[in-house]
Amino acid sequence: NRDSTKCRAAVTRVEIDVFFNFHVLFVFQGKWKNKERVLVFSSRGINFRTRHLMQDLKTMMPHSKADTKMDRKDKLFVVNEVCEIKNCNKCIFFEAKKNMDLYMWVSNVPHGPSAKFLVQNVHTLAELKMTGNCLKGSRPLLSFDPKFDKEPHYALLKELFTQTFSTPQYHPKSQPFVDHVLTFTIADKRIWFRNYQIIEEDASLVEIGPRFVLNLIKIFQGSFGGPTLYENPHFQSPNMCRRLMRMEKAARQKERQMVKEIRLEKRKEVKEVLTEDVTDDVFVTPAEEKPKEVEHEAPRPSKSKKKKKLKLTELKKRTLLKRKGLR
Amino acid sequence: LPSLSLSFLIQLQEAFSKGLLKPGLNVPLEEPKKAVNNIEGLKMCLAEFKKNLPWVERLDLTNHPAVDVLAKIEGTLNKKQSSGEIDAEDDFQREMYFYRQAQATVLEALPKLKKLQIPTKRPDDYFAEMAKTDQHMQKVRKKLMQKQMAIEKSEKAKKLREQRKFGKKVQVEVLQKRQKAKKAMMTAVKKYQKGMTDKLDFLEGDQEGKKGSTASKSQMSKKGPNAKRKYKDQKFGFGGKKKGSKWNTKESFNDVSGFRAKTAHGKGGKKFNKGGKKNKRPGKETRRKMKARK
Repeated sequence: NRDSTKCRAAVTRVEIDVFFNFHVLFVFQGKWKNKERVLVFSSRGINFRTRHLMQDLKTMMPHSKADTKMDRKDKLFVVNEVCEIKNCNKCIFFEAKKNMDLYMWVSNVPHGPSAKFLVQNVHTLAELKMTGNCLKGSRPLLSFDPKFDKEPHYALLKELFTQTFSTPQYHPKSQPFVDHVLTFTIADKRIWFRNYQIIEEDASLVEIGPRFVLNLIKIFQGSFGGPTLYENPHFQSPNMCRRLMRMEKAARQKERQMVKEIRLEKRKEVKEVLTEDVTDDVFVTPAEEKPKEVEHEAPRPSKSKKKKKLKLTELKKRTLLKRKGLR
Repeated sequence: LPSLSLSFLIQLQEAFSKGLLKPGLNVPLEEPKKAVNNIEGLKMCLAEFKKNLPWVERLDLTNHPAVDVLAKIEGTLNKKQSSGEIDAEDDFQREMYFYRQAQATVLEALPKLKKLQIPTKRPDDYFAEMAKTDQHMQKVRKKLMQKQMAIEKSEKAKKLREQRKFGKKVQVEVLQKRQKAKKAMMTAVKKYQKGMTDKLDFLEGDQEGKKGSTASKSQMSKKGPNAKRKYKDQKFGFGGKKKGSKWNTKESFNDVSGFRAKTAHGKGGKKFNKGGKKNKRPGKETRRKMKARK
């Protein structure tokens, strides 16, 4: 057996110059032992960005498999069965809710732990601002923040990510070069994922994408179920976030209304009568007393004036009634 | 009052009879929600789940970001960042932190990979499928070029604006100078006429001025009717050169530069309108723009 392997090694070394067989020969140098297969699929109701993200993950991971969309009516543990059928031992499952929120499950399928995340700030490979490029199926370097070693739940997540995202050596669909690096960093109590292409040996990098932010919700002991091992106390569901924003707006409106009402009330208040001013009586001068005249004869009636007056008042009355429609 | 269930009421009664509850208004306190953190469980799970694979299979590294060389030089090294606290709101700093973390990993991992004889550089004759198609990369390149062009254009426009401001200043100064010179000349002439001065020095000054202006004029005339002169030179210049000029040579036959598609198809109706203005000189703004576009 040893001789055969030595022979094979010798043969491959000689034929390395033939470039169109390069890839095939390199793979034959070793046997694929680490059998990791990741199933990447989603539920119904995802939008275009999520679909592209899934496609990008499949491009990045040659050890991945795809499956059709799962109906939301089925319970989550059905996913385990789907994985078993496809002979996969890891799973990345995307769940979209309300066409707005995207949740991601990463799980070790038969018995292992699983974690649920809320995915935010998704940018896909197709974005023109990400100018890097890498071989399809090349093996990545994984880079973790030292904070991952400090807490037990982060340590578990680190192991989960390592096993899921690292391409096994000598995988038939993989390329033998290591030309990109995936980084996982913890900032603002979230996990930030980035993908960089290694251009030069002096570690100059360009971003390839995709990029997203994971907000941990819960870690379960079983796959897609089981007892909760860890719950993130800083996590606030997106519904709660939206609710708080709406309540804030409502509170502001209520405050404004209250201020308005108070102002109106103040105006309607019975105004205080100020105490009497002494200086008010300064200009009051009583009139002089006139001698009372007693008229012995009746005054002459001025006919024309009266008639005119009568006429005028009559006219007025008549027009008023006409206007009112009573005549 | 919160709605109380029957069982709760019974409990309250019992508590009261035992003397645990004091008289007065008792409000049930809600316990603050405790997040599950089963550290033992987590550790056990990790121990079970861990696969002890050689580093070659995993290729993972945990490290602090590389030292920010630029910040060190500038002296703006952030203490917070060195301890590991990143401000997630400051986009640039955050992205630079991630970049430096990746850099540190690469710097550490490359020698290890070399030892294990895993190649990191793709040889030039190795053709394989890339994650992004060539078409996509061309789009990316186009976009970058567009951005660069936009920046250059804006820079050019800024410079032009500055130049124009400066040019306006210079123009004003020149005009003022001319007016002053004219004034001085006139006064000098008047003085001579009135007989106040005998010398004719001012004339000499005038000659110098003329020479200066002619020098600048000759420079201007070089640019003058260049295209027209060129064409005429080409057609009639140097006498006997144009003997064979009327022949239909291969070049002249294949030369389609004189072809105007609109005129050929009879659509260029707007051009030969001599009924309107004969010398339609473009306006000041248009001329300036034309000059700028050069």
